[in-house]
Amino acid sequence: MSNAILESGAAMADRAPRHGVEELSMQQALNLALDEVLAENPKTLVFGEDCGRLGGVFRITDGLQAKYGTGRVFDTPLAESGILGMSAGLAMAGFHPIPEVQFDGFAYPAINQIVCQIARMNYRSRGTMPMPVTLRVPSFGGIRAPEHHGESLEALFAHVPGLKVVSPSNPHEAYHLLKYAATRPDPVIFMEPKSRYWQKGEVTFDSADPAGSAAGGPPTGAKVMREGRHVTLIAWGAMVARCLQVAGLAAEDGIDVEVLDLRWLKPIDAAALAASVRKTRRAVVVHEAPLTSGLGAEVAQLITQSCFDTLKAPVERITGFDVPYPSGDLEDEYIPNIDRILFGIQRVLEYRRG
Amino acid sequence: MAEISFPLPDLGEGLIEATVLEWLVSPGDQVERNQPLVEVETTKSAVELPSPQAGKVVRIHGGPGDKINVGEPLIVFEVPDNTAGIVGTVPKEEAPKRRVRLSAVLDED
Repeated sequence: MSNAILESGAAMADRAPRHGVEELSMQQALNLALDEVLAENPKTLVFGEDCGRLGGVFRITDGLQAKYGTGRVFDTPLAESGILGMSAGLAMAGFHPIPEVQFDGFAYPAINQIVCQIARMNYRSRGTMPMPVTLRVPSFGGIRAPEHHGESLEALFAHVPGLKVVSPSNPHEAYHLLKYAATRPDPVIFMEPKSRYWQKGEVTFDSADPAGSAAGGPPTGAKVMREGRHVTLIAWGAMVARCLQVAGLAAEDGIDVEVLDLRWLKPIDAAALAASVRKTRRAVVVHEAPLTSGLGAEVAQLITQSCFDTLKAPVERITGFDVPYPSGDLEDEYIPNIDRILFGIQRVLEYRRG
Repeated sequence: MAEISFPLPDLGEGLIEATVLEWLVSPGDQVERNQPLVEVETTKSAVELPSPQAGKVVRIHGGPGDKINVGEPLIVFEVPDNTAGIVGTVPKEEAPKRRVRLSAVLDED
C-alpha cells in the first residue's frame, strides 16, 4: 500500500485546479470531486462494493482505480459491517477513507460500526482519534429499484451525536459538498440523491456559493435556490428540484415561493431557516422519508422556535408515509408529488388564526 | 458508450468452470435484463444464464464445447455512459403536471 501512496504524488502533479463553468451530470461532478480529492490527498482511499474495477453501479468511481491503482481504489467483499469497520481502523491509522455503501438500505448492517465506533471514536479518545470518514450513500427513491434501494436515512443518522449529514441537490452542490465533506476531520454521511445522478447542470468551480451569500466561502449551511415572498419550501436532495418545479407552477397563480435547500441535515442551518421564514411567514417542509420522527419535525420546531410570533400558519410537512418504502410504480404515490406539495402550500395560505 | 464485462458467475456450490453449450445471443444483439444469454453445462446440470442487465452485446467468449472458468469474461455489453447503472432505471425528466390550483387572499401586512 505504501507504493500506491507514493505513486499518487505523480497524479497530484499533473492536476491543475479547475476554473470557470462546466455542464456536468451529478454522476460526473461526483466522479470529478473524488478524482481531485484522491489527487490532492495521498491518504485518501475510495472503496466499496463494485467501486473498483466496475467503477460503481452508478459509475461514480468510474476510472479511478485505473488512475490511482488498486491500493487506493478497491472493491470490498459484500459486507457493509466490514466496509465501515475497516474505515474506522483506517481512520485510526491516519487515512481518509471514502467508503461507499452501494444503496441506502445496505447501511443497516453497518449501523453498529457507524454509530458505536465511527461516530464517537473522537469523543471516546478525548480527541486523539478523529474519524475523517466520508460515507457515500446513494439515497432516496425514484429509480424503480427493489426493496432496500430507496430509503431515506437522514433522520436516523442526524440523531447520532458525532455524525454530520449532508445531501446535495444538483451537480454544482454535489461537486463542492463532496470536496468539502472529504476534507473534514469528522465523519460525514454523504447522501447522494440517486434519482438525480443523470441530470445535468452547471458546475461553477471557483466558488461553492454565489458571491454575496457565503462570498466564495466553504459550502456550509443552507442555500436559497429561489427567492420568494409568500411561503418558504424547505427541502434537500432530490426534493429540491421538485420544489423548484412547484415554485414555477405557484408563480402562475401569483404565489411567490422561496425554495430553501437545507443541504446540511446535521447540523441544520437554523439561522437560514429563521431568515427565510421571518420574511415569508409561512413554511412547508418536504421530504421523502416517512412522516413520523422525520427531519421535517426538527425543521418545523426550529422554525417555530425562531418565528412563532410572525408565523401565519403552522408549519406543514409533506412527506412519504409511515410504511416501508414501496418498490416499482407505487413509489410515485409515496414520494411527495407536485400536487401534494401544492396542497400543502394552499393549506398554509388559507390558514386563519382563531 | 461504456463497456461492461459480465464474468461467468459461480453457478453454485463452489463450481469452478462451465462448458458453453449454445449461445442464445450474438454480437450486435440488443438484449433486455433477464433475457437468456447462453446455455452452459456444469458438472451438476445444464442451465440458461439470464442477462444481468440491458445493453448491446459487443463480444461473447467461448464457442460450443469451450470451457470457461468462473470469474473469466463471458460476455461484454455496451451501454450508454449515463445509464450504466445495473440497478433501477433512469427517471425521465418530464414537464411538471399539476391538478391543484392555488387561491389565496394575501393581506400584505
